Amino acid sequence: MLSGVAALLVIALLTASCAGDNDTITVYSGRTENLIGPLLDGFADTTGVDVEVRYGQSADLALLISQEGERSPADVFISQSPGAVGFLAGEGMLRPLGDQVLSLVDPGFRNNDGLWVGMSGRVRVIVYNSELIDPEDLPESVFDLTDERFRGQVAVAPANGSFQDFVTAMREVHGEEVTLEWLQGLVENDAQTYANNTSIVQAVGRGDVPLGLVNHYYNYRAKAEDPEVPSENYFFPDTDIGSLLIVTALGVIETTDNPGLADRFAEFMLGEEAQRFFSEQTFEYPLATGVEPSSELPPLSSIDVATYDFDRLGGGLERTKELIDESGLEGS
Amino acid sequence: MRAALRGRDPTLRPPATTPPASGRLQLSIVLTGLAFLFPIGYLLSGTLTLGGDFWGALVSARTLRPLANSLLIAAATAAACAVLGTVLAWIAIRTDLPGRGLWRVVLPLPLVIPSFVGATAVLSAFGSGGLIEFVPRLEGFWGAFAVLSLLSYPYVYLPVAARLSSTSASMEEASRLLGSRPFRTVFRIILPQTRDAITAGTLLVFLYSLSDFGAVSLMRFDTITRAIFSARLFDRATALILGLILAVLALLVAAVVRALPRGTKTQSAETKPIQYPLGAATIPTMGLVVAVLTLALVTPVAVFMFWTLRGSTTVGVGFSGIGDGLGFLIEPLLNSLLAATVAAAAAILVVLPVAYASAKRRSRLSETVSTIVSSVFAIPGLVVALAVVFWAIQAPDPLAGVYQTFPLLIFAYILHFGAQSMGASHAAIAAIPSRLDEAARVLGAYPRRRFLTIDLPLVLPGLVAGGGLVLLSTLKELPATLLLAPTGFGTLATRIWGAAEDGFFAEVGVTSLVLVVLSGVLTWLLILRRGQAV
Repeated sequence: MLSGVAALLVIALLTASCAGDNDTITVYSGRTENLIGPLLDGFADTTGVDVEVRYGQSADLALLISQEGERSPADVFISQSPGAVGFLAGEGMLRPLGDQVLSLVDPGFRNNDGLWVGMSGRVRVIVYNSELIDPEDLPESVFDLTDERFRGQVAVAPANGSFQDFVTAMREVHGEEVTLEWLQGLVENDAQTYANNTSIVQAVGRGDVPLGLVNHYYNYRAKAEDPEVPSENYFFPDTDIGSLLIVTALGVIETTDNPGLADRFAEFMLGEEAQRFFSEQTFEYPLATGVEPSSELPPLSSIDVATYDFDRLGGGLERTKELIDESGLEGS
Repeated sequence: MRAALRGRDPTLRPPATTPPASGRLQLSIVLTGLAFLFPIGYLLSGTLTLGGDFWGALVSARTLRPLANSLLIAAATAAACAVLGTVLAWIAIRTDLPGRGLWRVVLPLPLVIPSFVGATAVLSAFGSGGLIEFVPRLEGFWGAFAVLSLLSYPYVYLPVAARLSSTSASMEEASRLLGSRPFRTVFRIILPQTRDAITAGTLLVFLYSLSDFGAVSLMRFDTITRAIFSARLFDRATALILGLILAVLALLVAAVVRALPRGTKTQSAETKPIQYPLGAATIPTMGLVVAVLTLALVTPVAVFMFWTLRGSTTVGVGFSGIGDGLGFLIEPLLNSLLAATVAAAAAILVVLPVAYASAKRRSRLSETVSTIVSSVFAIPGLVVALAVVFWAIQAPDPLAGVYQTFPLLIFAYILHFGAQSMGASHAAIAAIPSRLDEAARVLGAYPRRRFLTIDLPLVLPGLVAGGGLVLLSTLKELPATLLLAPTGFGTLATRIWGAAEDGFFAEVGVTSLVLVVLSGVLTWLLILRRGQAV
């Protein structure tokens, strides 16, 4: 028996140590394996390059890269939302992408200094339980969520990257006072705090809470797992900050020893194969010019999404955290 | 006689002058202590560099409330597990309950379920919208308490079971011969003998609950780990200070526990332990065991099976159901197996000198180091991982090549989980009667030979139990694996995390089932058969 276990261990060690002679690119990805694995395989197949990927939470990986500093083995960083990649840009850990990459997306979907590009888009929505609340009673604006009629009915995830980025956008567009008021209003209105977006969507589906603020594509996932679940997406009308488009971003690490390869990788992610994957398999919005989103999603222009130029954040993400702390939303 | 049984008879205590630890032993303890100081070193260094306000953060309401919650859940869970783990160990090892062989394999298993998966499963299983609607769904403190207690009782169960299977029957027989009723025997003889194991296990539960993030965050109970998690990127100074607060708290608790009086030693364990007949109590006892296993193991496994069978309708993205192959799990499975077994073996070896010194050559040094080792278990895994990254990156060049290699990952596991092995090993070694040691010394055996031929066979069940805890903990470990493993080294646990993060529950289900089965097989193969706890 023990020799059997030992044999297995030897096999595992051997498989772990097999390394090819090809070029290698090291990717730190805040997108999990199911949401990007096939694309990494596609890149490897197309170019013959070995793709080594480290998965993790975007914030943890950004922290890791920052701590690794000059010795970082990472070539490329992929973030679920702009906050983490913006953090790295602020630390000077990103190098500008090549022009041929930057030209693939609209200027509004990338960093002004070319330090990162958006790969796919996610829209902030309300996910609601259609058995508990009528679509007509849903708010016209995200600011209405502090109304008495929504007391105890709204779920948010204050520790989540997308929520924090959303608050940052609100701060920049509407100012700090309004933002702090809104956050405090949520607390006074007994908003329910959850750990992350998936928990909120699950809770809404179960009927624990009637509505929650999440990203649009989670409900598509929930429906794929359980077509009967009564949760639905609601997109805010007009140019309300509630209908913010958040991009998943890609940046090249300063310390990479193969910037040309990193740029090729970025080009691939903005190419048709990858963008089609985002659009058809993960229900996100493709951002590269020339690729249409899946017909299942409401078209971007009809949502009148408030595309926020995350560039202007600079190093201001810490202030968002301070505001959330000040409002007391997290401990509630 | 009573005084002797309570351990107050001086002839049963260690000699007044404990022989000092040898130079080599002291050196290895010092080195171990230094290694285990890495996480606190990182926290201190970061706090000083980023210039945080330690006292200000400590007394702020935003810290005190989650801190109080952390202490509350830790204390409650520790108390519950102390009782539950001990009672279950007693039932499984010392009674004639039918199916004991099966219970012994299965009772430690809840430890392998990652707390965030356990919490997700419980939330899906009960309450409105769940699988079994009439059972109310727990949330908040009670939800976190239930999940953590049910998944952590093995921390007490394993060391106590090991202890119960190696205590000799002679004192109990004597007690019964003298007319003591079974209850009295339990309280006067058996509990004092197992007290060290119970204390060690309970301390582990307390420290683990302090560090847990998955269950408390999903159950929406606000603790200090949530505050650390949420501040880690954009308010690093606060995150480091909070981590430091946790570490100091853990040091204090561990130090206090160290200072508690020890339990009684026992005679040689050559006679097989007594099995008490249950008689009329068989049915309720069986009911208890089944109830615990139903809640702690069967419920999550049932939910996993439900998710797997339900499948999902997306094609080409993730595991979508029974029809899909499981080939994608082979590499994670082998990696999990490799990492867990190496970590368990290495942890036993690394902390053994500390456990031995603390049990047999007690000195201020040994107590300090063992307190430090214990405290690291309460530090959240993410912080331990970042600490190892910090020190590895700073290391001078030839050493820095160890970054993101398998040995460094094992090192991180040993740091984080070493306390588990140390507690169980300590309890086992402390139970060796010193007269055996003395006899061997008088007869001229060298210390190492004494240890190998006399002590080791007696303590093996305890060592192996501690190794078993490290094994199960490593199988489900997440943060260090994500940050420190060689790039591309995925385990079952990281796979589960990735799938759960974005709502791929069919994949969570099937991967979790494989994890539970793997743990069961390993527990049986490596722990139960080796530890002779049969």
